[in-house]
Amino acid sequence: MSPEPLLEIAGLVKRFGGFRALDGVSFSLGPGEVLGLVGPNGSGKTTCINVISGLYAPDGGEMRFAGRPLGGNAMHRRARLGINRTFQSPRPFASLSVRQNVELAAFYGHAEGPRADIPALLASLDLDSLAPRRAEDLNSAQQKLLDLARALATAPRLLLVDELAAGLNPAELARMAERLRALARGGMALLVVEHLLGFLESVTDRVIVMNAGREIFEGDLSAAVRHPEVVRVFLGSDHAG
Amino acid sequence: MPRAARDFLRVGVPVVLLFALLPLFYQNELLLFNFVLFLILTQGLNAVYGFTGYLPFGYVGFFGAGAYGFALAVMHLAAPPLLALLLAGLAGVVLGLILTPLLRLSGAYFAIANLAAAQMVYQIIANPALADITKGPYGVSLASVFAPRASYAVALVILAFVLGLVAWLRHGRFGLALQAMRDDPVSAAMAGIPVLRGRVVAWLLSALIAGLAGGVFAWHISVFYPETAFDISISIFAIVFTLFGGAATLTGPIAGVLVLYGLYNVIGISVPQYFQLIYGALIVGLVLFLPRGFASLLSRRGIDVP
Amino acid sequence: MLLHALLGGVVFGCYFTLIGLGLNLVFGVMRIVNLAHGDVLMLGSFAAYFLFHLAALSPLSAAPLIVIGFFLLGLPFYYLVVPRLAASRDAEMLSFILFFGVQQIIEALAAIAFGSSERSIPARVLGIGAVHLWGQSLPRAWVISALVALAAVLALYLYLYHTRLGLLTRAVMASREEARASGIDIHRVSAIAFGIGLALAGLAGVFAPFMLGSITPAMGSTINLAAFAVIVVGTLGNPLGTVLGGLVYGVGLLMMQTYLSAWADLLPNLLLILVLLVRPSGLLGRRVRLA
Repeated sequence: MSPEPLLEIAGLVKRFGGFRALDGVSFSLGPGEVLGLVGPNGSGKTTCINVISGLYAPDGGEMRFAGRPLGGNAMHRRARLGINRTFQSPRPFASLSVRQNVELAAFYGHAEGPRADIPALLASLDLDSLAPRRAEDLNSAQQKLLDLARALATAPRLLLVDELAAGLNPAELARMAERLRALARGGMALLVVEHLLGFLESVTDRVIVMNAGREIFEGDLSAAVRHPEVVRVFLGSDHAG
Repeated sequence: MPRAARDFLRVGVPVVLLFALLPLFYQNELLLFNFVLFLILTQGLNAVYGFTGYLPFGYVGFFGAGAYGFALAVMHLAAPPLLALLLAGLAGVVLGLILTPLLRLSGAYFAIANLAAAQMVYQIIANPALADITKGPYGVSLASVFAPRASYAVALVILAFVLGLVAWLRHGRFGLALQAMRDDPVSAAMAGIPVLRGRVVAWLLSALIAGLAGGVFAWHISVFYPETAFDISISIFAIVFTLFGGAATLTGPIAGVLVLYGLYNVIGISVPQYFQLIYGALIVGLVLFLPRGFASLLSRRGIDVP
Repeated sequence: MLLHALLGGVVFGCYFTLIGLGLNLVFGVMRIVNLAHGDVLMLGSFAAYFLFHLAALSPLSAAPLIVIGFFLLGLPFYYLVVPRLAASRDAEMLSFILFFGVQQIIEALAAIAFGSSERSIPARVLGIGAVHLWGQSLPRAWVISALVALAAVLALYLYLYHTRLGLLTRAVMASREEARASGIDIHRVSAIAFGIGLALAGLAGVFAPFMLGSITPAMGSTINLAAFAVIVVGTLGNPLGTVLGGLVYGVGLLMMQTYLSAWADLLPNLLLILVLLVRPSGLLGRRVRLA
């Protein structure tokens, strides 16, 4: 782990009514590092991303980004600080064109430095031929790529990826894994929520296994699958493979 | 040329020219003025409903506030008409600012709360207890500034302004950001768009437009009652005209005004119930079969509707 | 004077509960704001008017007929319109606009059919003389209307909490998605709730001539605002919370009329806006409906 973590999470708690979706989660993540979040449905993975990205306010715990407290920043401020994300089911600006989707993010979400090269970004995600189309006319796999393109247009330092791999075929999976690794090599920190363990294996440096809002394991994915509590939690789950 | 300027030249300028020339051939200037007024109000409502998705059911509240802003400035400050008109716009904006917290509400709640707010403004202004200031229910008379030609010309200037504004919202970056947060406020915020500020700006712009419309109405008509300036049908007409043509377009609301307000003047004035029946049925039909208005019939076939 | 205003307020509050009850049930089950609620109430008033003047039926005998008739009207209307809307992208806003169109149609047709003159049913048909309570006398028609309203609240409570269909209805109110997932026929449950909503509006209409004054085809929009104020104060989507909203509204109204009569008309709008801004979840509420 790098000496200067980009994201530090300590004792994060999020409740919905009486239900504790996050029950004291702590971890840290450095630049260039890829951390996977695994766990059964409802274990708190997406909630974790929602809290870090500012969609929900936490009920307890601390979040620091680049050494500064993150709480109190609205979503659009977090985007400008360099935090961005994709969504589990894609959320494009449906009535705008693919290019407009990405241009808006590049303009509004970008704090400093040179603006993203939008044609190159679209080409790198195979969206260049779709650029003039309305986002609502894209299929759901294409909309997921658009989500990613929009997030990357803000030149994030921390990217939260929520189930990007679902619905991709093996060849696309391999390319997506390579893309994410390339982003990490460029210094970006990635937090990847994913059900497909094979995909995680090829992308992540280490994983956190969650259950019922708590971490039950942190470390290598290959070690995780031999950990007794992890095995117990995943037995009977649809997503163990 | 930017697309906004091109649309404005192709659609906005001809409409303004048409209504600038029509008085030479057609005597009923009050009717023409009402057309211009509804063109302004419909586009003002389009600016907030079409681009943010917030339906201001009480849009007439800003119009009435503008009309009374103009009247109070003339009666109590002896303001010249153009200054009074600016104050009318200001009255709309101030009311908009006061109602800004309503934007925290979603969908139908916003619409209902906005309607209630417009009614309250009416009830306060029309209250006999305030007759010394507002003339209460007895209405105001502004004969000293009556100038039909000048006020018609100023109404055309406001129309040009609002048509230009909507053309800019369709293609300019700010308008695209508004459309993005209408489509999905969460991902808009994640793209770095300050959602709340965008909504407030669109809201105040449309309040300004209605305030100016109310002011120029007061100037042109010069004698009116609170029930005229706060008539809920003004909101309703603007909504129906917008839905009919297609919100978030420049031509849709114009077509809505020309067709439906034309129809209203043919059949509506003598038997208003029949017109009410027609637009009620139109709303139901549009929501069920054509929620994006007639413009969507064309855009669905790949024809670009400005 | 204070006691009279309070007592009258409670009586009126019961009646305003009835006005809001159906609207709140429909909202709770369908997440749809029925903007035509006040106009359905108006139709109930006219039905009672014609049954009295043409068939010599007293409002108390007409009420069950109107309740059944309006319920039966609600079922096909629901299936014709609502499932179609539920599929669209912005169902809540579109349904709001749609019901606004329905409101305009009803109002126009009523104006064409009945004319715009003011009509009434003489209050003596509900019995002559005043009712005396704690030394205050209240018109008999007020007290009867309030008792009918309380009976309607009780009936709705029994339906929701002591029948199987009511249990399913509450499941749909708690979460439409989960109810669907667990195999509940949500359209059947919703259609029945919609019918009950219209029936309650019709029932409120029967007593409107005694509580709200003369009836006209245009009375619906004013009633809508009062009904919204009642259900927003008493928590949206919680039909029984309507009782609290109705009482706050009724007592507030009579207090304003007694002590601040020039500004009494402001009350529904003022209450509506204040509650929406300060406590959008209603006085009892947990659901917050923010953008």
